[in-house]
Order: sequence, then C-alpha cells, then structure tokens
Amino acid sequence: MRFMILVKATKDTEAGILPPPDHELFKIMTDYHEELTKAGVLLDGNGLKPSSKGWRIYYSGDKRTVVDGPFTEAKELVAGYTIIQTKTREEALEWSRRFPNPSLDGREAEIEVRQLYELEDFGESQSIDRLREMDVGVLGRK
Amino acid sequence: MRFMVIVKATKDSEAGVMPSEEMLEAMAKFNEELVKAGVMLDGNGLHPSSKGARIRFSGDKRTVVDGPFAETKELIAGYWIIQVKSREEAIEWMKRCPNPYNEEGEIEIRQLFELEDFGESDAIEHHRKLGEEMAKKK
Repeated sequence: MRFMILVKATKDTEAGILPPPDHELFKIMTDYHEELTKAGVLLDGNGLKPSSKGWRIYYSGDKRTVVDGPFTEAKELVAGYTIIQTKTREEALEWSRRFPNPSLDGREAEIEVRQLYELEDFGESQSIDRLREMDVGVLGRK
Repeated sequence: MRFMVIVKATKDSEAGVMPSEEMLEAMAKFNEELVKAGVMLDGNGLHPSSKGARIRFSGDKRTVVDGPFAETKELIAGYWIIQVKSREEAIEWMKRCPNPYNEEGEIEIRQLFELEDFGESDAIEHHRKLGEEMAKKK
C-alpha cells in the first residue's frame, strides 16, 4: 500500500520563506526521512514553491482558462509531500505520527495522509494495460 | 524544472466513483505523450479522504483526526510530477491535458523546490545523499 503525506501551506511557505540551511528543522526532517529510507518505506518527497509561482487551469467541458497564482486560501494549499509504502494502514499511521512538526516555529501545523490508488483498483481494460506498460507512478510501480 | 500538477477532488472522487473507460483512455493517451517526450516523472490517484487521516501538530503534541473531510474543493484527488525546461513548456503541456472532470473543474500547477534552492549545510548534504540512495533503489 502506498500513502501520500501532504504538508499544508502556511503564511511562511506562501511567502517563500526558506529556513536557513543549518536550521534545526532540516536536521529533524533529514533524520526522519533517513529512518524511512533505512526501513525501505520512502518512495519520494518534495517541497513546493509558493503558489505565486504556480497557476491553475480551469476546465469547463472542452474550454480551458489559465489563472496565474498566487492563490489566497493558504490553508487549502500544499507546501510539500512524502510518499511512503507500507504493508498496512496502521503501519502508515505509525510512521506518519512520527513525522516531525513541519512548521518553522515548531507551533501549529497539519499534515494529511491519503492512500494512493494502485492500477489493480481500476479493473482491467486496454487503457489500464497501456498505463501499466508506461510504468510510472500509478502506472504500475510496485 | 519540475512541476507538480494537482487534480482537485470532486463529489465523485470523494464518493470513490472510478473514472470511465473513456476518461482512462484519454488519460492513457496524454500520459503516453508525456512519457515519450521524457516529461513525466510520476503520477497517481488518491483514494477518497474517507480512507485517510490528518495529524495536527501543536508544538510536540499530535492529534490524529480520521477522514472523511468535508471541504471537497480543498482536497486532492490526484497529481502528476513533470519535468520541463521552462514554465511556458509546463503550461503548454498541461493545457493539452484531458479535462479530468466530468464537467467543470480546476487543476493547479506548482513548481518543486530543488536542493540547490536551499543553500549548503550538513542537513542539505544529508538530504542529497538520501536522494542518491533512493535513486539507486528505483
């Protein structure tokens, strides 16, 4: 089973405030991700630049409209994520409980943990076979 | 430059309604183009939030809150990670993405930080080594 741990945006992340590279948070996060690696649990992890550098594409049927960031609702935005692979939901929950407090000031923060779909969840079809052959992400990685 | 393309949740995705064969076919075609162009790094769909959880931090305290979560528009249903040479190239690719929703909807495209963005320190060097280790395992 694969899970995505989502780190929510804050005023700091949206302002593009990066902790100095010798900040304690880097060390704590590195130690945690090293444990994940040693346990063979870590699949991927990344930080997102502020929404001011991003954009949204709004669909209405076949129409598309591009809207540039920033987007105001900081709490709804994502600032980073970690993807893990575990045998059970409980194991994923245990790892996520040990996730370091990701806030810069060490006060309030929230992460969200969501299970990823596997190709098997979709049943069988030609499209699913094509996705499996591409071997990217849901597209077939075990 | 790497970008994360975020597909927002809808009532359907939160209800666990699976995409139609037609949608799967359109996505397979689009993903195939991304793969052939060497643009696609990863892509996944997320189970409904009813199968997920949130963890709230307050200093050293942690509180686990089980899903589902009510604010559908704020939730994520899937994502791509793509690698391109410029922001414009990312926009061009994603404008060609099939409408992932049955009617209306929105995707969000966000640039990923690269390690170089953080400056140099022991912790950053440690992160770099972890990345190299992970890459070897793939």
